[in-house]
Amino acid sequence: MIGRPVDRVDGRIKVTGAAPYAADTKIPGVTCGYLVTSTIGRGRLTGMDTAAALASPGVLAVYTPFNPLKLFAYVQEQNDERFPPLQDTEIRFFGQAIGFVVAETWEQARDAAGLVTATYDQQPPVTEFPGRTLQAFEEVEEVVGTQTVGDITFTASYTTPFQHHCAMEPHATVATWNGDHLTVYTVSQGALLVQRRLSETLGVDAAKIHVLSPHVGGGFGGKWGNWAQVPLACAASRALGRPVKAVLTREQVFAMAGHRPRTKQTLAMTCTEDGKLTSIVNDGVTSRGLGGNWSESVANWTLTTYASPNLRVTKTVVPLNLGAATVMRAPGEANGSFALESAMDELAAQLGVDPVELRLRNYATLVPNTGKPWSGKHLDECYRLGAEEFGWSKRPKQVRATADGDWLVGTGMATATYGASRGQASIKVRLHPDGTASVSGTAADLGTGQYTVFAILAADELGIPVTRVRPDLGDSTSPAAANAGGSNSTCTNGPAVQVAAKAVQTELITLATTNPRSPFYGKEVSYRDGSVSSGGLTMSFGTLLTTCDVGGVEAVGTSPRLVDPEHGFRSFGAHFCEVRVHRLTGEPRVTRWLSVCDAGTIVNAKAARSQIQGAVVMGIGQALLEATEVDVSARFTNANLASYLVPVHADIPRIDVRFLDHSDPVISGLGAKGIGELGIVGVAGAIANAVHHATGVRVRDLPITLDKLL
Amino acid sequence: MRVNVTVNGEQRQADDVWEGESLLFMLRERLGLPGSKNACEQGECGSCTVYLDNVPVCACLVAAGQAQDRSVRTVEGLAEGDQLDPVQEAFVEAGAVQCGFCTPGLVVQAHDLLDRVPNPSDPEIREALAGNLCRCTGYEKILDAVRLAASRR
Ligand code: FES
Ligand code: FES
Repeated sequence: MIGRPVDRVDGRIKVTGAAPYAADTKIPGVTCGYLVTSTIGRGRLTGMDTAAALASPGVLAVYTPFNPLKLFAYVQEQNDERFPPLQDTEIRFFGQAIGFVVAETWEQARDAAGLVTATYDQQPPVTEFPGRTLQAFEEVEEVVGTQTVGDITFTASYTTPFQHHCAMEPHATVATWNGDHLTVYTVSQGALLVQRRLSETLGVDAAKIHVLSPHVGGGFGGKWGNWAQVPLACAASRALGRPVKAVLTREQVFAMAGHRPRTKQTLAMTCTEDGKLTSIVNDGVTSRGLGGNWSESVANWTLTTYASPNLRVTKTVVPLNLGAATVMRAPGEANGSFALESAMDELAAQLGVDPVELRLRNYATLVPNTGKPWSGKHLDECYRLGAEEFGWSKRPKQVRATADGDWLVGTGMATATYGASRGQASIKVRLHPDGTASVSGTAADLGTGQYTVFAILAADELGIPVTRVRPDLGDSTSPAAANAGGSNSTCTNGPAVQVAAKAVQTELITLATTNPRSPFYGKEVSYRDGSVSSGGLTMSFGTLLTTCDVGGVEAVGTSPRLVDPEHGFRSFGAHFCEVRVHRLTGEPRVTRWLSVCDAGTIVNAKAARSQIQGAVVMGIGQALLEATEVDVSARFTNANLASYLVPVHADIPRIDVRFLDHSDPVISGLGAKGIGELGIVGVAGAIANAVHHATGVRVRDLPITLDKLL
Repeated sequence: MRVNVTVNGEQRQADDVWEGESLLFMLRERLGLPGSKNACEQGECGSCTVYLDNVPVCACLVAAGQAQDRSVRTVEGLAEGDQLDPVQEAFVEAGAVQCGFCTPGLVVQAHDLLDRVPNPSDPEIREALAGNLCRCTGYEKILDAVRLAASRR
C-alpha cells in the first residue's frame, strides 16, 4: 500500500460540500464578532467613540483598549502577534485590531463596526526597506573557515517583496463555554498550538480547553500562529455567556494574519578557475513586522547547499510598522534559494560552465557548514535524471538563442533542498466491533493529505483495506502528535501510527486469549490481515470483539524524537523549466516544468505529487506575480485576491514530478522525509535563470514582471 | 424581507433577510447549506460558485433577493443520493482535492463547462476555470479531473 496512489479519504466529503470548516460551525444562539482595525500605521490611540455602535440594532458589546476583555500576555513565541489584542493603546501597524463588536448577526456586527470612530496621536510609520529603520540590528549567523579570495569573484544583490499566503480559507474561530470549559472550533495548523496559546492568554487550565480543527482550508504557515480573532472570540464568549463566531475578511487576513517578509541578500562568491567554490558570503537583510517578533534567516540556505571551505552568512533585521511577518511555505529557503540559485547560474555563465555541471562540481557530499555526513542524499541523481528527461543537453549555450514566433524561449534549472526532522508523536489506534479501526492524533490536515497518510499506514500495518480505517485529526483531546509545519508531519506522525497499529494487535491478542467469551480463550494465537487465528480457526477482529461483547480495544503508540547529532537531514530535488518571454510585451510565461525529488519513502504517490505541483505553482507565483505593496500610510494596498495576483489555471503549464523514492533509513524505519515545502525551494531561481536564458536579461528583484523585461 | 427560492430542487423560504445580504450568506447561514465557501466575498476567487437558473454565478455577488422565485443549485445538490456526480467522482479519483476549500466552487464550474462543452480542450478548461482560484493543488490534477469526467459523461 505504501507508495501507491491512494484516493484521499476525505475526498468524498470535500466534493459534496459536507466537510466542516471552522466558519461552517453551527451552534444554536451563536453571536457574531467583527474586528475594528486601525486606520493609521503608527502612533497611539487617544480615544474611541463606541456610542453609535452600542446603540445599533442587535449589538451586544463593543470591546476596545478603553473597555478591554482581559487577556494575559503571550508567553510562547508562535511566530504570530507579540501582544494580545486590545490590551494597550499603541498602534504598531495599519489594520491592527482596536475593537471587537459582538452582535446577534454578522451583518449587524459589521454595520456597527463601521460606526466606531477612533482618534489617534499619529507618528509617521516606518516602511522603507532597507533604509531608515527604527532599530536595525545585525547578527552574524554563522562563519565557517576564513574568507579567502579565489581566482574568480562574483557579487550581486537579490531582493524579494512582501508576499502573502492566501490560503483560500480566511481565518475563522467559533468559541463556546460550558461552565469553565471552553470549546473552540478554529483554523489551525495544530490544535495544541491553539490550546497552549489560549491557556496562557485566558488564564485557563489547558485541560479545560477543547480545540477542534478537523478541516483546514490551506495554511502554508499562515495558520501556525493564532491571530486576534482567536482570543477575542473566546474571551467575548466568556464575558457574554453566548457562543461567538469571528471570521476575518480577506483584507483583515492580509493586514494582521502574517506575511512573508521582504528580503535582500548580497552574495559574494569566489572560486577557482575550474569552478570550485572557495568561499560564499551571504549578507541577508529581512524585515520584521512590529506586530510580531519573527524574521527570516534568509541567508542560511547558503550554509547547507554547496561545498565550500569558507562560508559566512549574516542577518540584519529591519523592523517595520507592519503586522507580524511569519513563516510562509519554506520560510528562509524560498527566498534564500532565489539568490543562491540565481548566483550559481550567473557564475556558471561567467565561467562558461554548464549550470548543472557547476552544481555537480560543487556537490556537497558532506553538510557544508558542519562537515557531517547526510542521512541520505541523492541530489546528483535528481540532476542527472532531470537533465536527461528534460533534454537539457540540447540547450543552447548562448542566451537569446531560441525564438518561436514572437516568443523568446529559454530554459533554466535550480536546486531544491529543505530540512528534515522527526519529532515525538503519540497516536491512538482503536479497533471497533464493526470491523473498522480509528486512528487519532492532534495532527492537522491542511490539505496536505495527512488523513490519508494515517489511513494508509494503519491499513498497511493492520492488514486491512484503507476504507476500513477512520483517521481522526485536529482534536486536542487526542494523543499529542506533530503540528503541520516544517514539512515534518508524515515523517513524525507516520512512525507513531505504525507503532500504535502494532501495539493494538498485542491488545487484541490479549483480549482473544484472556476473555472467557473468546473462542481463543487460553490458546496460542497470531494476528494477520485483520484477523486472529489459532489452529484452523480464524476470526476477524470485528467478529471477535462482537463475540466477546467488547466495545473496542485500543493502544497508544509513541514514536520518540530523533536525536542524531551525527547526521544532516534534508530532502533534495532539482527543477528544470522552460520559460517564454514575449518579444514585444515582455510577458513571461512558464511553459514546461520538471521536478525530480529525493524525499525518502513516498507514502501516497497521488497526494505527494499534488503537494509538489502545488508548491511549484506557488513558486511560479513568487517568481512572476506575487508582491504585496505598502503605501506611505503603511497599508497593504493590494490586500485582495484581485490585486494580489496568485497563479490561476490559465497561467500554468503541465508540471511533471518524479520521485526517486529512496528510503532514508536513518530518519526512521518508514524512511519518509518532508515534501510540503521542498517543491517551492529553487523555483524562483530556476525561472529567473530561464528568463535570462531566453532574453539575456538578469532580473534580481522578484517578482519578474514584464516591465523588468522591456 | 422574505425570499422564496428553489434550492437543489426543494422549495425553500428565508425570513427576515436583510436587503444587503448576499445569496451566499443566505445559503450558508439561513438555509443550512455551508458547502459553498466564502473566501473573498467580492467575486475574486470562485469558491462560492453556484448555479442560478442553470448559470454559474459567484453567490457572494448576487443579492439574496435576486434569487426570488428562481432556482439555485449548490455543490450539495450535485450528487443523486449516494451517487456522486461524475465530476465529483473524477475530482476524488484524480486527486484534484487538497484542502477542499476551492472544491465546491470548482466542481460546480467544471460541471457547467462539461454541460456546455462535452469534450473541452486543455486551453478551454484552463480558460473556463481561470476564475476559480486554488492555492493548493497547482491545478494539474484539476485538469486531469475535468478530462476524466469528460471521458465518462
Ligand atoms: S467568495 Fe465569492 S468569489 Fe470569492
Ligand atoms: S484545494 Fe486548497 S484551495 Fe484548492
